[in-house]
Amino acid sequence: MTSGADLVSHLARFCRALRTAGVPVVLSDAIDGAAALALVDVADRAEVRSALAVALKIGPRDRERFEVLFEAWWGATPPEERDPRRGPERTSPGMASLGGPNLVRQTGGQPGEQLDRPEGDTPGYSPHALLMRKSFDQWSEDDLTALEEVLARLAVKLATRRSRRLVPAIGSGQVDLRRSFRRLVSTGGELLSLARRSRPIERTRLVVLCDTSGSMDPHTRFLLAFTLSLRRVVKDLEVFVFNTRLTRLTPWLSRRHLRAVLDRVAAEVPDWSGGTRIGECLEAFVRGYLTSMVTSRTVVVILSDGLDRGEPELLRQAMRAIHGASRRVIWLNPLMGDPRYEPTARGMQVALPYVDRLVPAHSLESLERMVSTLSA
Amino acid sequence: MRKEIQRLQSDMERLGYITEPETATAVYLAQELRKPLLVEGDAGVGKTEIAKVLAACHGTELIRLQCYEGLDVNTALYEWNYQRQLLRLKIAQENGRSVMEQEELIFSRDCLLERPLLQAITRTGPPPVLLIDEIDRADDGFEAFLLEILSDFQVTIPELGTIVATITPHVVLTSNRTREIGDALRRRCLYLFLDHPPLEKEIRIIQSRVPEVSERLSREIAGFVQALRRRRLAKVPGAAETIDWAAALVRLHTDRLDQEAVRLTLGCLIKDQRDAAELNQEIVNNLLDEAAAGVGSP
Repeated sequence: MTSGADLVSHLARFCRALRTAGVPVVLSDAIDGAAALALVDVADRAEVRSALAVALKIGPRDRERFEVLFEAWWGATPPEERDPRRGPERTSPGMASLGGPNLVRQTGGQPGEQLDRPEGDTPGYSPHALLMRKSFDQWSEDDLTALEEVLARLAVKLATRRSRRLVPAIGSGQVDLRRSFRRLVSTGGELLSLARRSRPIERTRLVVLCDTSGSMDPHTRFLLAFTLSLRRVVKDLEVFVFNTRLTRLTPWLSRRHLRAVLDRVAAEVPDWSGGTRIGECLEAFVRGYLTSMVTSRTVVVILSDGLDRGEPELLRQAMRAIHGASRRVIWLNPLMGDPRYEPTARGMQVALPYVDRLVPAHSLESLERMVSTLSA
Repeated sequence: MRKEIQRLQSDMERLGYITEPETATAVYLAQELRKPLLVEGDAGVGKTEIAKVLAACHGTELIRLQCYEGLDVNTALYEWNYQRQLLRLKIAQENGRSVMEQEELIFSRDCLLERPLLQAITRTGPPPVLLIDEIDRADDGFEAFLLEILSDFQVTIPELGTIVATITPHVVLTSNRTREIGDALRRRCLYLFLDHPPLEKEIRIIQSRVPEVSERLSREIAGFVQALRRRRLAKVPGAAETIDWAAALVRLHTDRLDQEAVRLTLGCLIKDQRDAAELNQEIVNNLLDEAAAGVGSP
C-alpha cells in the first residue's frame, strides 16, 4: 500500500498540475488535502475524489478541469506505480484545450454565411480566428490628457451611492446607543449628547463588456483605453473583451501604465478585430460569471455597435439574464454619433428591451454624458 | 468507502436528508478536521438543510445567523442590554459607588445580550452547529470580521476583555453565489458545491419528504422538474420547490400528472413571472412528454 510520504508528494505534484491548468490551489489547500486523505479510504477512488474536491475548494467553474486532471493523476493505476517524471500533463487528453484562467472556452457554431442586413454596414467578419496584432501608436497624448479630466469628474459622480451599513458619524444620523452609553459613564449618567451613525458613501460596482470586433475598429482603441482608465476610480471593476470569444481582462489590470495594458491586450487577446458573436459571448459571461460578479449593486456597461453575427435568441436570453441580475444595463453605441442612426442592427434590436439606457459613445463629450447615468 | 462516512450518510438519510457520498464525505471531513464547511449552490438545493441534519445527527443545538446586507457586530455577535445598564447605573450612583465600580457593574456578562456568534462559542455541553446562512448577502467587511472569529474562536469585547471559546462549534456557511466569497475566508473552510439532484436522487428525496406520494407520481414529478431545469429559466426550481410541489399535488388528491394538475399548481415550482408567462400549454405538454419518456422505464 502507498506510504504516507509518497501520497503527500503525489498530492503536491497534483496540486502543481492544477495550478498550471489555472485552478487556484495554494499551499494551505494542499495541507487540507493531505489531512483529508489521511481520513478517507485511499483505495476508494470516488472517495478520494470527493475528499480532494472538498479540501482543495474546487468551485463549479474549475470542476471540469479538476475532473480531467484527477483522472490523469489518480487513475486506475495506483499513484505509487506511476513514474513521477513522466508528467501526466502531456499524456492526458483534453489538456490542450485547458487554457489559463483568462480563457473562456469558445462556443462552437457555424460562421453565419447569409446576411440579412444591408450591404453597407457589413463588418469584416472572419470565420477563422484572426490573430492580428495591432499597435497603439496612433494614440495621441492629447487624447489621454482629455481623458484624465473626464475621469476626475467621473470619480466624484460615481461615488454617490449610500451604503446600508452604518458607521459612526458626527452631527446627523441614527442614534448609536452603544457609543452613547459609553459617553454616559464619563458624564456621570447624564445624557449630554447622543452618538450617531449614518450610512457611508458607497462606490458603484462596474462590469464592462467591450466589443473588439472589426466593425468597432475605429472606436475600439479609444473605448478600451477609457474602460481601462476606469480602474483608477472604480473600486470594483471587472473588464471583459469579446468578439467571437470572451476574455476576462481583470487579472491584467495591475497598476501598470495604460499603454502597457493596451499592448498586452493587442498581443494576447485572441481574434482581435475579428467578427462578433455577441450572443455567444454574453451567454458565456452569464454562464461563467453572472452570479458571482453581478448583483443589484452592479452597473453593467456593454460597449458595442450591436452588429451581431450569432444567434439572436442567444443574445436575447443572455441580455434578459444580465438585465435581471444587475442594477442597470447601459449600452454604449459608437454608431449613435451619426444623427441619422437608428438602432436597427439585428443584435441591437433584440437587446434593446433589456437595456436601461442606450448612449452614444463616439466622443469624449458623449462619454461624459454617460457618466452621470452610471451613479444614478 | 470508509465505515464512518457510510454511517454518517445513512444517519443523514434516516433523518430525511437524501444525499450523495460526496456530501457525506465533506461533512465528515469538516467535523474531523474541525474546519468550517462552505456550501455553495443554487437556491433550494439543500444547503441550509445540511446544517439542520448535522445538528439532528449529533443531537445538538442549531444556532443560526441569517446574513443580510448591512449586518453588523451588534446583530451578529453581542449587544449591551441598555435598559438594564441604565437602571444599574442609576442605582449605583444613588448608592454612591465609585466610577470604577459603576463601570464594573454595567459592563458585566449579565448586561450582555449574546447574539448567534457569541452564543455558539460560549455554550457548554456538546458542540452546537453554527449555521451562517447566505454569507454572500453580508458585505465584505463582515466577512473579514468572521474570518477572525472562525480562526481563533475568540471574541474581544472592549469593555469586558477576551472571551475564549469553551468548545469549538461545527460551522456551516452557505452561499447562493450572488457574489464571490473572498479568498481568505474560502481558504479557511472546506468547500462543497451542491448541484441540483439527478433524477433518481430527486425521486428518493420526494418519497422521503412526502411519504404519502405514490411511486408513480413521484417519478412523474421528478421527471417533469428535471425536464423543466433543462430549459433556460430565470429562476430554476430547486429540490425545495419539488418537495413543495409534491406536497401540494398530494393535498389536491392528484394521482397522476396532467396538464390541468400542472396548471393549477405551477406556482409552487415557478417563482418568476416571466418564466410563468413563457410556459404556455404547448411547452407544458412537451415537458409532460419528456417526463413520461424519462420515467417510462425505470
